[in-house]
Amino acid sequence: MTHKNQQVEIFVLEERCKGCGICVAVCQTEVLELSKEKNSQGYRLPIAINTDRCLNCGLCEMFCPDFAIWVTIKKEDVLG
Amino acid sequence: MIAKQKSISKENLFHPTDSFLVSDTFPTVWCPGCGIGTAVYNFFEACKEKSIDREDLYIISGVGCTGKIPEILCFSSSAETDGHIIEKATRIDENNPDKKIVVFLNNADFLISGGEELKKAKKRELNILIIYINNFIYALSKDRAFPMTPYMRQSTHGNFEIPYNIPYMACSLGASFVARWTPIRAGWMKQSFVESFSVKGLSLIEVISPCLIYDANTGRILDPVERMAFYNDNSEIQFWVPLENLDIRRQKKIIIGKFLDKNRTHDS
Repeated sequence: MTHKNQQVEIFVLEERCKGCGICVAVCQTEVLELSKEKNSQGYRLPIAINTDRCLNCGLCEMFCPDFAIWVTIKKEDVLG
Repeated sequence: MIAKQKSISKENLFHPTDSFLVSDTFPTVWCPGCGIGTAVYNFFEACKEKSIDREDLYIISGVGCTGKIPEILCFSSSAETDGHIIEKATRIDENNPDKKIVVFLNNADFLISGGEELKKAKKRELNILIIYINNFIYALSKDRAFPMTPYMRQSTHGNFEIPYNIPYMACSLGASFVARWTPIRAGWMKQSFVESFSVKGLSLIEVISPCLIYDANTGRILDPVERMAFYNDNSEIQFWVPLENLDIRRQKKIIIGKFLDKNRTHDS
């Protein structure tokens, strides 16, 4: 889980994503949303709207069937 | 304390399980929202938790959608024909006894032309983990009924047979670890992958995976999210259930959970 001063980064690999929307449905704090624009294969990618709410729980990463999305804490903010 | 600052460029980006994968082969061939990818990801997470490297693993799979798993892996793995998967596993077990052998099977490999696989695996006393991906359908040839089709479903006049009880079958053959999960319970599924690594002998984990082509001939194909929600509503976690009661019937909820573990003693 995140500390107060830590910031979270959310990465999406465009080539891998198929736009199934499971990460959006799974997220408890409504961080993600499907975009209106499409990628080169015609899928709608998830976008992080409000990263302040993200708890770094890792559910979107755990449920993604295409190895496309993951969450990390920003490296400058790692404690110790 | 001042931490070092590192700029993250696009070349440094990598997924946490990218040490197991070939990144050129993406996107994968599976439908959006298929349960196979979730099972594979959580299997790798379990390997990382047990600190099992990719040199210690050998992954075998069969035909069909599950047979596409070795395409995305960067370590030793192979896709065999129906009915020859456990024979391949015994050859590998003879030559390199240190390797952990993991088999991904689908319905055709497990019940139709490979109907002997579970018996062979027990008879030859392999230390093997069988992950059986059950999606209730022949995904590539749609209209046929087969042993795991639910009652009155999916063939031209409705299937009139009752599907097998796979956990009971595995227990009667002498398996030492039996569980059944859906990809909705991904954390539980990963935990039982972790526990099955410390068990000797045959261990079987049945993954009930949502298939998007199911009920496609009736004209209503659900979204991936709706399909996951369907399995979420119709499943129920119960531990240490007597194995005779684990039939998948139409009017009942699917019972998922962990049912047998020889490392652990329990009362019920």
